[in-house]
Amino acid sequence: MIPAHYIGEGWKHAVLILGAIIVILPFYVMLSYSFKSPGEIDRNEGGFFGAQEMMVDERCIVVGGSREDCTFRPVVFNYGKAFSEAPLLRYLLNGLIVTLSIFLIQVAIALPCAYALAKLRFKGRDFVFGMVLFCLLIPVHAIALPLYIMLAKVGLTNSYAALIIPWTISVFGIFLMRQFFMTVPDDLIDAARMDGMSELSIVWKVMLPTAVPALLAFAIFSVVAHWNDYFWPRIVVTGNRDLFTPPLGLREFKGDADGSFYGPMMATATIIVTPLIVAFMLAQRRFIEGITLSGMK
Amino acid sequence: MSNRTAPLWFVGPAVLLMLVILIAPIIIAGGLSFTDYSLGNDGARWVGTKNYEKIASHSTYTKMLRSTAIYVLTVVPISVALGLGAALLINSLKFGRDLYKTIFFLPVMAALLAMAIVWEFALHPTIGMVNDTLAAGCGTLIQSVFDWGWLPFVNGAETWYGHACANNEFPLWLRDRDYAIWTICFIGIWQGFGFNMVLYLAGLTGIPRELMHAAEMDGARSAWERFRLVTWPMLGPTTVFVVTISSIRSFQVFDTVEALTSGGPSKTTYVMMYAIYEKAIKQNLMGMGAAITIVFLVFVLFITLVQRYLVERKVHYA
Repeated sequence: MIPAHYIGEGWKHAVLILGAIIVILPFYVMLSYSFKSPGEIDRNEGGFFGAQEMMVDERCIVVGGSREDCTFRPVVFNYGKAFSEAPLLRYLLNGLIVTLSIFLIQVAIALPCAYALAKLRFKGRDFVFGMVLFCLLIPVHAIALPLYIMLAKVGLTNSYAALIIPWTISVFGIFLMRQFFMTVPDDLIDAARMDGMSELSIVWKVMLPTAVPALLAFAIFSVVAHWNDYFWPRIVVTGNRDLFTPPLGLREFKGDADGSFYGPMMATATIIVTPLIVAFMLAQRRFIEGITLSGMK
Repeated sequence: MSNRTAPLWFVGPAVLLMLVILIAPIIIAGGLSFTDYSLGNDGARWVGTKNYEKIASHSTYTKMLRSTAIYVLTVVPISVALGLGAALLINSLKFGRDLYKTIFFLPVMAALLAMAIVWEFALHPTIGMVNDTLAAGCGTLIQSVFDWGWLPFVNGAETWYGHACANNEFPLWLRDRDYAIWTICFIGIWQGFGFNMVLYLAGLTGIPRELMHAAEMDGARSAWERFRLVTWPMLGPTTVFVVTISSIRSFQVFDTVEALTSGGPSKTTYVMMYAIYEKAIKQNLMGMGAAITIVFLVFVLFITLVQRYLVERKVHYA
């Protein structure tokens, strides 16, 4: 006979597996269709990888390619088209430039401010901290419209600056770092002052190293949010493909796509989603810590 | 920079940016919401509260408020409940915890826009996987399970699934006005509940084991009793936080709507963020967009203030 606690464990797994199937389903669809030929996608056959039989790209023939040049394995066709049909590499590079710039500027602004709020005494400190607490209430997406108008007035829309500027101030980062710095013993800072260090070098050479774990979590939080962000780039970048971030590039692809282009579109989606998913798999604990950072108070 | 002026230099840039990037826009939006301002047309007219009156009365905007309310009131309770349920189940497992945790967290990491496009594809009325699977299930064991015909007083042929099978007519999902908003809600839940699960798992580790044992000693024999008397109250602060953050996130839904339905069919998925985008950015009706922005901010501030109030009241016992 099966002991009762095994049965209990069993139905829990059954429920969770059912949930897991639904959660994974779109990832499965995405990956599978990025491998298949248009015909297999239409007829919904070929299992996960598709048969990978050679296929002929009709469009390529129409524009005058020879039959040999226009025959591909579906997987090569899909991923090849993802890069050749649109400047996907450029989009990925833009994503990298934007997310990294945002993170670095956020830290450069937030760290000294957090240090001053936590460890220095000056007039107006409580007022500034109150301001930080108030600004924590404002979701930046919600004020996108006035921000857009301001940027348009100074002629900055359709530029890297427009993609980066609204995110340069992370009140959440200031708040988080301040809470962290509060726990750093004063003796450490006093000792550094005795040694003749300036306040600025204390921030970067004493405080920064103590804050590495918190900073890493914040980095993940920030990079994930801005790599995946679609709303803000959609608003400030209009038409100029050179500035597209990865989600914008994929959206453009969808706009142009007809039936035969589902494969390359899914390949593009896979390429955009993979970097973060792989990083997450490699450092799960850190990622979960980073993403749920806003939950720890 | 002397050490006496250091605080000024340290705090100055942050304060300046807070003023310019976060506070000034609210004031600007507030001002513009009383005008008919549009970009490239500098003479804005003062229109008083006309924009706000439109939001309250015009059918486009009442539909907007309605679909936003449906979305938030569907996605928040379900994604919180699923998050809690998954966390409780996973927490009580003997093995396999990390695997489930990883899988349920995947959607949180993936770009929502990309996954929305994949869902659209899976939900395609004719070649999509979902309708294919539903059609394949007709006449098999699956149908007999899901047409609920085995329940007393239920006529299997008249249930949703029984009907769809009999007529071989499955929903158009995103293109059907009766289904579109629910489909968008579903994607929102799919994407967000893993985040709630992780927060609840963190909350669960904070409950001391002794408390559970004590409750058991005191007569809370069933798992449900222990949940009701110990776990749920102890998770109070987590729940307040999870509900708040889920609400704010669902108020901001945009990616799925923009990419999949453009607010349609017949404005059934016309949520607020999309309305701001369409009115202000696409149609250059900045005054109207600003008014929606202000209404939006009021909602979000209200939710956050309720949260702060609950936290002050100490919903926690730890």
